[in-house]
Amino acid sequence: MEYLKNYIIISVMLLTLSVTGQQRVFTALDSVYLTDSKLKEFSTGRNLISIPDSLLRNNSALLTNTLNFNTPIYFKENGLGMVSSPSFRGTSASQTAVLWNGININSQFNGQLDFNTVNAGAYSEISVRGGGGSIVYGSGAIGGSVHLNTRLIYEDTTAHNLFLQYGSFNAKDARYNLNLATKEWSLNLALARTSSDNDYELPNGSKNLNGGFENTALNVGVGFKINTQNSLRFFSEIFDGERHFSVLRTSETRTKYQDVNSKNLLEWESHFGEFVSIARLAYLEENYKYFPNINSDSFSFGEAKTVVAKYDLSYSITDKLKLNTVLTNTNTNGKGSSLGENERNIFAAALLLKHRIDPKFNYELGFRKEATANYESPFLFSLAATKDLNSLFSLNFNASRNFRIPTYNDLYWPSAGNPDLLPEKSLQGEVGVAFTLNNFKAILSTYYNKITDMIRWLPANDGVWRPVNEDKVRIYGLESSLSWSKKFQNNHIISTNATYSYTVSENEETGYQLIYVPYHKATVNVNYDYSRFNANLQFLRVGEVFTRSDNNSRYNLEGYNVGNFSLGYRLGKSEKFELGGRVNNFFDAEYQSVENRWMPGRNYTMYLNFKL
Amino acid sequence: MKINKLTLLALLSVFILNSCSDDTDDLIDQVPEGDYTDGFFVLNEGGIGTVTYISDDLSDVEQDIFASANPNAADLGAYTQSIFFDDNNRAYIISNGSNLITVVDRYTFELIDVIDEGLTVPKYGVVYKGKAYVTNNNTFDDYTYDNDNPPSSYDDFIAVIDLETLSVESTIETNSYTEQIEEEDGLIYVNGSSFGYGNTINVINPSSNAVVRTISTAFGVNSFDIEDGSIYTLSSNSYEVFNKDNGEQISNLEFSDLSGASNLVLEDDKAYFTVNRSVYVMEQNSTTEPEKPLLTYSSTSQYGAMYGFAAKDGRIYIADGGDFSSDSFVEIYSTNGSLLKNITVGLGPNGFYFN
Repeated sequence: MEYLKNYIIISVMLLTLSVTGQQRVFTALDSVYLTDSKLKEFSTGRNLISIPDSLLRNNSALLTNTLNFNTPIYFKENGLGMVSSPSFRGTSASQTAVLWNGININSQFNGQLDFNTVNAGAYSEISVRGGGGSIVYGSGAIGGSVHLNTRLIYEDTTAHNLFLQYGSFNAKDARYNLNLATKEWSLNLALARTSSDNDYELPNGSKNLNGGFENTALNVGVGFKINTQNSLRFFSEIFDGERHFSVLRTSETRTKYQDVNSKNLLEWESHFGEFVSIARLAYLEENYKYFPNINSDSFSFGEAKTVVAKYDLSYSITDKLKLNTVLTNTNTNGKGSSLGENERNIFAAALLLKHRIDPKFNYELGFRKEATANYESPFLFSLAATKDLNSLFSLNFNASRNFRIPTYNDLYWPSAGNPDLLPEKSLQGEVGVAFTLNNFKAILSTYYNKITDMIRWLPANDGVWRPVNEDKVRIYGLESSLSWSKKFQNNHIISTNATYSYTVSENEETGYQLIYVPYHKATVNVNYDYSRFNANLQFLRVGEVFTRSDNNSRYNLEGYNVGNFSLGYRLGKSEKFELGGRVNNFFDAEYQSVENRWMPGRNYTMYLNFKL
Repeated sequence: MKINKLTLLALLSVFILNSCSDDTDDLIDQVPEGDYTDGFFVLNEGGIGTVTYISDDLSDVEQDIFASANPNAADLGAYTQSIFFDDNNRAYIISNGSNLITVVDRYTFELIDVIDEGLTVPKYGVVYKGKAYVTNNNTFDDYTYDNDNPPSSYDDFIAVIDLETLSVESTIETNSYTEQIEEEDGLIYVNGSSFGYGNTINVINPSSNAVVRTISTAFGVNSFDIEDGSIYTLSSNSYEVFNKDNGEQISNLEFSDLSGASNLVLEDDKAYFTVNRSVYVMEQNSTTEPEKPLLTYSSTSQYGAMYGFAAKDGRIYIADGGDFSSDSFVEIYSTNGSLLKNITVGLGPNGFYFN
């Protein structure tokens, strides 16, 4: 509980970012509930970065922006707000799983999540977990996973938080959060809307054309404790977004994209004896429309409805030994303008074991196997352990086999889809060391990841692109993070977080580094609080990337440094208002993460944060 | 730079060597019209398209000559599809991803102008009497991916471009897809098959801009050529010959052993085409398929083998698409099948154009 207290204090009170390398067994919380309980429980020996909502406000509502400045994940962004795909630990865009309250929400169509179609303002906390997690999180958790969570608090609470932000390019960002709770009931409602003309100036002097976007997200969590043994929870989110895709010249056809997604999750948790049972039923709808010409009404679409039924039963054999089975049935009905209609059903059984041998040593084991008619599913496992060497150092270890299933597009795209595709498979291992001294924490991990049967789309000589299980990729690297916070005399509070990652991700056949995977990425966040003032400094360094598979350096994109700075002042007797401003990219760096897709130069934001 | 040196030499010789007038005349006769006169272009689709120049003797190779000749100009646009020429020493480089045609001097590659209005996914062009006829795929809504159920209408069109003003003056619809386009004896011929779908060649009279004849072909014609009063079409499994003037089928060679044929070129009364990584050749009017390939080249490209192909003046030209994310290569063979040279070019080479 000491750890928890620290966690809450650090994350909420000191506006810091908690970087936790090693997770210990702790009993379920009474007053704070995150539905993705597996995230804390089965992350032994993992790097876990949690960003609370207070810190999410330091960035724009685009999830890419927050994660880019706070985590080792590299983003390939087609210009600000445009299609954004992650490369987490050197993996491909569909090898990062994204979970909403524990439910996998990667697109059924392409297996990815576009990180600019998520409004970060709709969540209480966003966590990032490095390394394989397919045992618990299923397909796509190869490089790592990103968790969008809603926190429920069971304490008498009435709290409103309104955050308004306005900036260059007519960028608007509004977030409202309501927490209403008693000891039995809890409501967490978040409403977030953002929009921008996004017509920033490009290095050649012209404006970013057709780059505007807007989206609205409503996320609600409700919890009710029926009695001491039983509780019910319901989570629901609706997202509605429209985005124009920027063009490089006026002659290009202007296109746009609309997506409406809804996610619903009902949970019933029950405790009896040494058992904890959680029954979950989720219903997800994914709808997109792509308009290949904004002047025409014609569009292509994709529509997927997914029902997930999950039964999670854990049994504490002793205080130190816990067994957990998770049975999941996922039924997806997808159709698209060019996909026809296809249903697929996947049943998965996972078995997890967590054992604390003594307070200084614990390990976990996991197995998972799926049954489906659509592809041959591999047997997955994971093994992880953490050992405290002394009060300062602890060692972490994990190894796992993970996978990424072929998507609807891969399987069913007309005259191109390949029904014989195998899932991508990954075998990986990681060793890390964590150092903790008071409020200073440092983590250093090295990992190795071998991915086989990578699915790639390649053009055929008839001009049609087809997916094949082609590549083998070998990835190894180093991931490190630092966090430190200190409260000085006279209430000066400083907290800092930094990450640095070194990533080698190479095609095993050719030995070349994969394109758009930088060797180096570093982030730094510094928060300073004094009296009514708050200052935040963010810094991002991304090394050069190859854009050609033969690593011809002539076409490399240069590395870049981007810095943001904000200053806020709290007004009112009880400091309920905070008024502030931010300079984004204060170096005015000209940078791009995708060839010819420049990001904005120096730009400004004003914000108002109102708490009641 | 050659031109400057030679001009300077010519000027110098006028002053210094004015006594030897015969020599000077010879020198002036040899002055080329530009750096790229004695060679051919390889179009690399990109990403952003580029053009590689290769001299006829295959010794001189220059990458991205458009950027060299026009260092301050914008690029050629995304996915350059093809190049066509006019009678006025101009080359027109079509970018299907940017709805753009870049007009350059074909010998110096200096930028003249761009055509950036009125095009939607432009593919191929041909010039006749001061006008360019450029096929446009427009949207891809008209693909049903099923030859048994063709779409009720097509939105492909041919943009007619006035080469004086370089603007689109009208459009022609053919009630088909529109791909490769050729001109012969004052009529325009358009392939109505695209990506394996469709089964027509449409003939347009440029004086009325109307389709005057529709010739039914096999499904999915991927290339055609017109020689000696006949239209020769190639699809995956058949080689058909039609009378150009009345559209009647003269012969139909259905392949028994070959499948996936493409890249038909007629040259010196022979028909050249490709299957996978091999080049086949047969008599232009052959009614039996060749038993053996003329040559087979080696390619690690999963799907980009024979991404570009040409046969001209005793040589065979092969472009390999490679992995489409690194610079790839072309290979030049003699017509007897021996390799003359392998040359590295740009990203996704898809065609050869000869000066």
